[in-house]
Amino acid sequence: MRGSALALKRKQWEPLAFASPSLFLITLIIVFPLGYSFYLSLLNFDLAVGPDAEFVGLRNYTEALLRDERFLGSIWNTAVIIVPSLALELLLGLLIALLLSRVIHGRPIVTALLAIPAMVSPVMAAMAWRMMFGVKFGAINNLGRQLGIIDVYFDWFATPFLSIVAVVLVEIWHNTPFMMLVLLAGLQSIPQELYQAAKADGANAWQSFWFVTLPLLKFTMAVGVMIRMIDLTKIFGLIFILTFGGPGGSTETVAFNTYLVGFKDFRMSYAAALSYVIVLGVLALTLVFMWISRHREARAA
Amino acid sequence: MSTVATATPLVTVRRVNRHRVQRRLAGLLTYLGLALALAFFLGPFFWIVTTSLKGNEDFFAYPPVWIPSEPSLTHYGRLFTHSSGARYFTNSLVISSLSMFAALVVSLPTAYSIARWRFGGGFLSTLLLVLRMLPAIALIIPVYLMYKLLGLTNTYLGLVALYTVVYIPFAVWLLIGFLRDFPVEIEEAALIDGCSRLRALVRVVIPIIAPGLAVVALFAFIATWNEFLFAIVLTGIETKTMMVLVTSFTTGGTDQFYGEASASVVLGVLPAFAVAFFLQRYLVKGLALGGTKG
Repeated sequence: MRGSALALKRKQWEPLAFASPSLFLITLIIVFPLGYSFYLSLLNFDLAVGPDAEFVGLRNYTEALLRDERFLGSIWNTAVIIVPSLALELLLGLLIALLLSRVIHGRPIVTALLAIPAMVSPVMAAMAWRMMFGVKFGAINNLGRQLGIIDVYFDWFATPFLSIVAVVLVEIWHNTPFMMLVLLAGLQSIPQELYQAAKADGANAWQSFWFVTLPLLKFTMAVGVMIRMIDLTKIFGLIFILTFGGPGGSTETVAFNTYLVGFKDFRMSYAAALSYVIVLGVLALTLVFMWISRHREARAA
Repeated sequence: MSTVATATPLVTVRRVNRHRVQRRLAGLLTYLGLALALAFFLGPFFWIVTTSLKGNEDFFAYPPVWIPSEPSLTHYGRLFTHSSGARYFTNSLVISSLSMFAALVVSLPTAYSIARWRFGGGFLSTLLLVLRMLPAIALIIPVYLMYKLLGLTNTYLGLVALYTVVYIPFAVWLLIGFLRDFPVEIEEAALIDGCSRLRALVRVVIPIIAPGLAVVALFAFIATWNEFLFAIVLTGIETKTMMVLVTSFTTGGTDQFYGEASASVVLGVLPAFAVAFFLQRYLVKGLALGGTKG
């Protein structure tokens, strides 16, 4: 092992002492609250009612998963947003990464410019687009009218379907750059000799993409998709600004629903239970993610 | 015989020509595709910036004015004076800077412990990964109740402490990478000269991995700057951040006046622009680890 002389010289308490500030803070501000939150989810504590609460066991969970149509609906809404977003982000990200990998001059600057949306806050992305979608003064309606594509002032948030389209569009704008960066890194790690060999064997561009690029990019794509999927299950700020869950709750996602239960209705126990349902979902996805990365490491080794 | 001899070069010439045309076309399409992508991904920024500089006449004009005839900073002035924009911008700056600094100070020794001594083995790194994936909504409910009890809502301290802790997993992950790349021999030399571990870390390691620290710091800054859920729940009238300020422009439909709203968005995305260029090389790693997620 590298640095074995150092390992021998170390004092027993040092590793723990170095890590202890982080561990202490994580215990205090993450682990303890999460434990408290789980306890809370077993009560019927409601700030709007009063400070008294009694133990109700798993009733909050059974209500959430069996009877709460609003929450079950929010799971569906979240899925309806995630699936097209992920598919389009992957496709567009791959397309742009492939284009970028063909460019030699100016690639770093173009990549950096394209990456900017991924650096801004979901809140700011949503606010910019909210104004762009604006009925009378928004860029989209104005541009559409000027180009003669539309002849009325279009309300993009009038129907559930259009609102979901708008959310997905903003999400794609916001996070395709991330997918593009991940896939570009993946593309650049594919050895050029493989393409030369494919060419020597008479493969055309399409064949070398299908039989060289795609198989070698599979893991990178899986990792990118998993990271986005995990983050999308938590989508909150974008919804808050763009649609506030509307119209008629059609864009209310799980995190947004839980926020409303907790900080509009002040049903803290029930919100805690809902948040634990989300945690379980995210945990399951994280396990898949870890399995994929292990698998990749095993293959790489 | 003679027909064959003349036919072959002709075919070759034609094929070469076709290849050249094809390659040119492919090149053209590549640049066209990238131009479209740039327009789509940067267009909204262009529109927001020009909108924030428009005067009232330009704003209501039809056909729409895309580039303001007389750019003015009135909306920024109004945002700063009328909507307390200056205060909230300062809040964002202060909270992000403090959290960034605290997260670095706490995370560096931990990362060192994991990188050099494999402290905690696989368990600690798995824990950190799980914490990175943890939904913020699960944390904010108990933290809100705790903070209310302790009087920490609507304080800098409360928000900074939470941000610091939430970004430890991210900072540690990135720092481990930088520390693993660091030549151990230099450190060994310092230790042999009688330096203590901590002294070696501060005097030898930090100066050399300073660029890495800067990368982590910038990501932590942006992440804190962009954070929304904790901020909207925990801040009050005095401690609001830029992200919370924006929500005050969303009441009353999409057609309310855009001046201040667009100015606040411009200010809100400013750090992201700066950082995207500085961090180019590290964007994949940082974003994958969740460097900017709010």
